[in-house]
Amino acid sequence: MRVGLSWTPKPDADAKSAWATIISEATTADAVGLDSVCVHESRTAPNGCPSPSVMLTFLSRRTRTVQLIGTRLLEAVNPARLAEEVGVLDTFARGRAGLGFASASSQGAPSGRLHETIDFVTAAWATDELRYRGGFIRFPTHTPDDAPAGVSTPEPGDSYVPQWERGPVMPDFLAITPKPLAARPPVFVEIADRDTLEWAARQGISPLVKAHTPTEEAVASLQRYREIAAAAGRRRGEVEVALERHIAMGGDGDDTTVGGSSTELIDLLRDLGATAGVSHLIWNRRGPSDGDLFQFAREVQLMLQA
Amino acid sequence: MEFWTGAMGITKMRLMPGSLADGYDVFVEDAKAAEALGFDAYGAPEHHFTYDAFLPFPLQALAAAAAVTSKIRLVTGAMLTTLYDPVAAAEHAATLDVLSGGRVIMGLGMGYRPMEFDGIGTAKRTRGARLVESMEIIKLATSQDAFSFHGRHYDYEEVSLQPTPVQRPVQIWFCGGTSELAARRAGKAGLPYWLANAPFDRTEQIVREYRRVGAESGWPPDQLRVAAFKDVFIGNTMAEAEGLRKMMIDMFYAEHILGYGYLVDEHGEHVYDASEDHPMYQQFIDSLFCGTAEMVIEELKRYEDLGVDAVFLPSPQRELLASQVLPEFH
Repeated sequence: MRVGLSWTPKPDADAKSAWATIISEATTADAVGLDSVCVHESRTAPNGCPSPSVMLTFLSRRTRTVQLIGTRLLEAVNPARLAEEVGVLDTFARGRAGLGFASASSQGAPSGRLHETIDFVTAAWATDELRYRGGFIRFPTHTPDDAPAGVSTPEPGDSYVPQWERGPVMPDFLAITPKPLAARPPVFVEIADRDTLEWAARQGISPLVKAHTPTEEAVASLQRYREIAAAAGRRRGEVEVALERHIAMGGDGDDTTVGGSSTELIDLLRDLGATAGVSHLIWNRRGPSDGDLFQFAREVQLMLQA
Repeated sequence: MEFWTGAMGITKMRLMPGSLADGYDVFVEDAKAAEALGFDAYGAPEHHFTYDAFLPFPLQALAAAAAVTSKIRLVTGAMLTTLYDPVAAAEHAATLDVLSGGRVIMGLGMGYRPMEFDGIGTAKRTRGARLVESMEIIKLATSQDAFSFHGRHYDYEEVSLQPTPVQRPVQIWFCGGTSELAARRAGKAGLPYWLANAPFDRTEQIVREYRRVGAESGWPPDQLRVAAFKDVFIGNTMAEAEGLRKMMIDMFYAEHILGYGYLVDEHGEHVYDASEDHPMYQQFIDSLFCGTAEMVIEELKRYEDLGVDAVFLPSPQRELLASQVLPEFH
């Protein structure tokens, strides 16, 4: 089981002090061998991060091995820009970028817009020049109504003309650049909405259950995801199954917190792996009292792997 | 006068094949070196959808530079503001400003390449007016706890930036190329003005027009600040300097200046099919200053005498500039 860190904005701290903690814990996570850091896009608290790509690119130069995952909200996302941002982050981070999305319902957005955004971004990374005609996305903007639905690419047979010799033509197809270094950066989507859960399971998009969801409900959702994925012929190893939890080392658990001694934590987390297929635990940090990262790495993390 | 430097672009250069990731590493190392050499700011530009994977998000790249530096200011030059929602642009800047301890300078331009507007999904036709409104919004967003703005193109009611930047407001500059119209717009709005490469006489003409309009609009002289983007090529001889300029033209400018409509003719039309002997291209080439270190000092003194507050020297010859040119100004 891979283990990463995430943080929830606090109502009473300024960004300077809260982000200093994030930077410090991210570099510690990197040093002790944890696997990821995850920054949630937020603009509802004075220490939330409205620009995960900027913060993660900063962290890319303070860390060496952790995966850098930004979970995004649709309201401020331009799909073309988002595909570029992950390309830039992945290049600065030498292949360590990841991308996540909050559920559509948590943002008051239609699920279709979320699904199209994921479809467009992943296609843009994997394709050279492309266009996209969806219900919510047109790329480039002048893509006509009679273009094929979804992704389309240039017809074969055209001679190549260098871009700088094309003049003021408006190209029908554009390429997102830079491309990520990794052929397929991991993409996670929160599966709080039933239609997104079913769509992600069928499409092979990695599921994410966030920290506010009670563990019992999270397990049920992830089991449902596995059933639909299996029925659609998806292989288990195609996706990462990400579960965000609070952790209380030496403390008590509750419906969103896994708590107990190191031995108890190992058993509880391994059970989540067995019952729900969790392969990526994201430890949502509430503060230093959650537990020491070095101690967790030494007493728990390795025992989750073998 | 401040000395700014930075990248022309972070790209996969066609005539010098190499790893883009290595280029990103060089960008970060150059930021560290520029800080150590005593430059005041380090910058990054923006373009989209290009064959050479030109950097599309300068504030993001500058975040990587912020992580390894502590003093040098981080400047976008130019960030194509009309391709962003202005509040989102302010949020990105605030994020970097907090991470860097208040070191962000936003050089804001309007863009000119049609495919960029078409790809991102904003209107090229309204870019001039939208740039001015965007700059006003960014200023409000980064200086006020909450703001409302009702313009022709943007409308916001009681918006608060979370988090707020360290600088209130974040420093912004109007990147207007070599256009007198843009200089007048900036002067009228009392915004600091940043010129693109131009021969000195043309620079002087634009600066005087900018200050005239700014003064007529009631702005105090100390608010009407000027920066200039200036390529300089230093050689032991003129021939050596011209050789370096030719290399830069062949490697970069011949494609980026000739091919995408950067040049604007006397009728205000973008030129896409210019040959290398086109008068506008020749004027551009002549604006790339060549000379010995003494000649470069003399040229930059003219900018200082004109009251230019900052020059952006993107030169890869930073060590030479730091050892032979900057001491004459500090």
